[in-house]
Amino acid sequence: MVTSPPPDSPTTARRLRAARALWRALAGGTARLASGVHQTWRRSLQLRVVTITLVASSLLVGGFAYLIADKITNILVENAQTDVLLRLQNGREYARKQFNPYSQAQEAQFQDTIDGTVNYLAGGDPAQTSGVVVAITGDTFTPGTIAPHASPDVQVRPLIGQELRASVAAGNVAHQIRTGTLGAERTKYLVYGSPVPTRFGQVELYYIVPLARQDATAADARATVVATGAALVLLLGLLAALVTRLVVTPVRVAARTAQRLSAGLLDQRMVVNGEDDLALLAASFNQMATNLQRQILRLEEMSRLQRRFTSDVSHELRTPLTTVRMAADLIFAERDEFDPAVARSAELLQAELDRFEELLTDLLEISRFDAGFAVLDSEPTDLVPVVHRVAERLAGLAERAGVTIELDVPDTPVIAEVDPRRVERVLRNLVGNAVEHGEAKPVLITLGMDQSAVAITVRDHGVGLKPGEEKLVFNRFWRADPSRARQTGGTGLGLSISLEDARLHGGWLEAWGAPGQGAQFRLTLPARAGDRLTTSPLRLVPADAALPFGGPRDGGLLAIGPGSGAGALAIGPPGESDRAEVTS
Amino acid sequence: MRRRLLGALLAGLLVSAGLTGCGIPDQSAVQVDGRLGPAAGSGSSNGGGARPPTPKDSDDPVQFIQNYLRAAAAGEREQAYARAKEFIAPEVKNTLREKQQSSEIELTVVRLREKPEKTPPNEYTSTVTLKVQQVGVLRADGTLAPPAASETSYTFQLRRVDQASPSLVINKLPPVLLTTDEALRDYYRSQTIYFWNSDQSRLVPDQRYLSTTLPAERRVTEVARWLAGGPPDWLAPSVTRVPDGTTPINNATGADGHWELNLSMNGANDAKLAKLATQLAWSLPTELSGQLDLKIQNQKRLTIDLKQEREANPAYPPGERPLRFAIYDGGIHPLSLAGEPTRRVPVAAAKNRNVVSAALSHSGDQVLAALVVTRSDQEQRLRVGSGPDPVTVFNDSRISYRSIGRPTWIRSLDPEHPAGLVAADGGLYRFDGAAGMSLVPLAVSGKVTAVAGSPEGHRVALVIGGGLYVAAVSIDGGTVSVGQPRRLTTQLTGVTAVDWIAPNELLYAGNHDGRPAIYQTTVDGAQETPLETDIGAQVTQLAAYPGGVVGALAAFSYMYEANKAAYKNNPFGIIKREQVLDLPSPAPGAKPSNPTAPFFSF
Repeated sequence: MVTSPPPDSPTTARRLRAARALWRALAGGTARLASGVHQTWRRSLQLRVVTITLVASSLLVGGFAYLIADKITNILVENAQTDVLLRLQNGREYARKQFNPYSQAQEAQFQDTIDGTVNYLAGGDPAQTSGVVVAITGDTFTPGTIAPHASPDVQVRPLIGQELRASVAAGNVAHQIRTGTLGAERTKYLVYGSPVPTRFGQVELYYIVPLARQDATAADARATVVATGAALVLLLGLLAALVTRLVVTPVRVAARTAQRLSAGLLDQRMVVNGEDDLALLAASFNQMATNLQRQILRLEEMSRLQRRFTSDVSHELRTPLTTVRMAADLIFAERDEFDPAVARSAELLQAELDRFEELLTDLLEISRFDAGFAVLDSEPTDLVPVVHRVAERLAGLAERAGVTIELDVPDTPVIAEVDPRRVERVLRNLVGNAVEHGEAKPVLITLGMDQSAVAITVRDHGVGLKPGEEKLVFNRFWRADPSRARQTGGTGLGLSISLEDARLHGGWLEAWGAPGQGAQFRLTLPARAGDRLTTSPLRLVPADAALPFGGPRDGGLLAIGPGSGAGALAIGPPGESDRAEVTS
Repeated sequence: MRRRLLGALLAGLLVSAGLTGCGIPDQSAVQVDGRLGPAAGSGSSNGGGARPPTPKDSDDPVQFIQNYLRAAAAGEREQAYARAKEFIAPEVKNTLREKQQSSEIELTVVRLREKPEKTPPNEYTSTVTLKVQQVGVLRADGTLAPPAASETSYTFQLRRVDQASPSLVINKLPPVLLTTDEALRDYYRSQTIYFWNSDQSRLVPDQRYLSTTLPAERRVTEVARWLAGGPPDWLAPSVTRVPDGTTPINNATGADGHWELNLSMNGANDAKLAKLATQLAWSLPTELSGQLDLKIQNQKRLTIDLKQEREANPAYPPGERPLRFAIYDGGIHPLSLAGEPTRRVPVAAAKNRNVVSAALSHSGDQVLAALVVTRSDQEQRLRVGSGPDPVTVFNDSRISYRSIGRPTWIRSLDPEHPAGLVAADGGLYRFDGAAGMSLVPLAVSGKVTAVAGSPEGHRVALVIGGGLYVAAVSIDGGTVSVGQPRRLTTQLTGVTAVDWIAPNELLYAGNHDGRPAIYQTTVDGAQETPLETDIGAQVTQLAAYPGGVVGALAAFSYMYEANKAAYKNNPFGIIKREQVLDLPSPAPGAKPSNPTAPFFSF
């Protein structure tokens, strides 16, 4: 005896899991397919045009085909109906005459006459008839009085519907299309019925005419119409595809050319064929490209000249500066022998020359970046010593400014593939800035790393940055307060160079600051040279930074709603006016 | 994406609708094309006829049985069993075995010889005994066939339906469907139909019975079916059937002077149709008039006017105007009756001697004369002659006979080969124009004492051994042969003389309870009418004029000879000597005799 396994948990669960997996696979496949189709749909103008043409023409041709096929069928059926109705009327007249002599349904000869009449109306020889069945019934009499007669002798009762029978018994000439089996196969029949008045009531005469021929003709017509329609739709689709292709191909060429142009291949041009609109487009495009190329070349030349000028000026200034420097060094070394005022001037001269030299160095560095000569000399480097070195170097400066430099570095080495000279320069710059703007508050340097990146943040607690200045600080020669003379600090190029250094590594250099809360700069570099950065191991916004609206109250929720300006979003604790607004 | 989906959906819907929606549906709603109005109510039959008797009509046992006998005939033949069974107690209803086929339903027609007896007059049951004479069997084709049974009495037992009711019911009965000749007369009517003779020159009448309940269309249909069914057995030798494959298709239709008969016929041509049309015109009930459309397989082929057709094509030649002759003093002499034309005897005076009886007939411009003459040795011979009036050339038969009955000419023969029949010495002989006599073999034993030819010439009435017979006469190449005689049931016994008084009726003389009488009967013996019952002497000769020429004589005119004297009817009386013409001056002293052996020449 074979028993089905009980629906116990392991099997059921396994099955359930399998079903789920299948469902997931199916859903995933469908979703992938849908997204693929969607993508193709969005990308291909040709596909859209062809699809729309196909759908529109399908609707049109389908409607038209339906009308024609319907009309043909109607005509066929109507012809058959007219035909049968005529036969029915003649048959009824004949039957009426035949039954007229009888005054009782029970007469034996009446039954014979019914038989003879149906035979006669059916055409006599059952083998010769075209499938038409003639039947006479006596539905208005008590059952058994008049047996139904049919010629050819087949069982016609199932074909004559109850409804039709009732209608004819009520004295109507009526018809109905029915499907049934009289002969070998199932066929549609047109059933016509008419009462035949007799002396003793009425009997019913039915003509049952097969519609096989009409059906076949209608099917033929339908098939022809459908085939023609399908061919037409396909042809239209093909046509649409061809026409779209004619238009789309030059547009694609134009797009490709435009892409190449934008990629810097300024000598790319379209082929101009003929004189049509597309040729005009190509010609105009070419002209535009030519103009653009000319402008770009001109601007490039100008930019090149400018950089060259800067570089040249820097170089040219360096030689006299060296001479001036040597003289100044001599004077500065002998200053003790001068009177105090001259000694003071010698000191000033020395200091300004230092700055001047620094400025020249930075300008040369910047022009090297601009000229694209900067080369990254990366090697695996432990960043911990680098950080320590920078802190030590700037310890003096910090001490002068009354700033303490705090370090938060891991105990383990933080190895990254970087150019240590450039990283050190960046750090020096950042820490220097922090010390300079630190307003005698501590500066915190944090080093962090994860699998793909290393990051260093430098936090000060000075005046901070106003909103929007996070980006401006990296501009060349930018000043927070333009009226403030560049008395202290660097050359105004330090952050620009640092940014270029970070970019050269494929890293980020970002700034955060808030008025009164100080600022934090973060340098993020890929752990391996050439990797793409996705995240940074350290946060840009320090943890102790206050939110503009004071943060959520008691750890509650925050509400986001429309702000006061157009397209502005306001965020803050619900029910309070103290909210921060963000505009796009 | 959504648009695309919508579009695809719409297109799919349309295509599927187009493929399925525009074909012929599998089933449609009932559509009414018109209305014929409410069904016609039951109308009354136009056939008429008396109401069939019912068991409730009488509580008298004898009357009850008579009603029972009438009921079988009163109405449609197919319903005969149903009507009869109303009279029968439920427990014995199966005594009457119903025939499965309606064409097998037959009525046994009997004639009540005397009033039914009722014995004993009991409280609860009674017995009625019928003394009957079997007349025949009424078949589906309307013929009255010779009787099949031989019973002379039938006994019925009746009882009350229940104790309280006086109504009766039959609880014992003979297992045949009985009816009487009277019922046949009341509920049926004779319908003469005609068949063509073998050379299609004359129509031979045939007697049939048609229920009076039938409406006109069905009478037409019935007649057409009978014709298609062919003649009865006894008549078959002398007639031909309708063309092969001739059968009516369904019922004849029409009314009020326009009838339609749809037939099938093999190789229908105009000649066949014309013959059939004439046959139909004569066979259909004469009260029908107007047009008859003959259709062959639904194609209208011939239209005739029934009355005109009958007038234009007589069933058979009516013959000359009838003339009366009688034998007086050994010679044929014309009789002169008031208002009737006379002619002299068309026989040369030299041969008009010693004549006992004679038959004169006409064939074209020829006169046919057959005389029975007495020789000196009291033997009789047949003298036959033909030729223009008067006939001078006669031949005597070679053999002489002791007694020769009145000869009769067969009227259907061509003038070149005249022939006749005569009874001589108890045998039936045929004779030709040269008086050559030959014995005609008959399938019935008995002495043939009288023979009479029918007006159309294809039937003869015979008296064989005192019984009345009819037989068909067929003529093949001038040779006359007589078919199987059919005996008719008669009330008279010892029949002595017979002649045709109508195309389908015979006049015969015999004895009714020992008294000579003259009766008229139909050719099937079904309906007898006494004409003369107090004659007093044996009728030895009987001559009748069967009609044919309009206005020649009063209907049913006949003459007879009894007691050596001649009598006539219309009005009835003896034929006096003064009415005999062309008499020689009587020999003085001779006792004037009476004219004898009167006959009609036509």
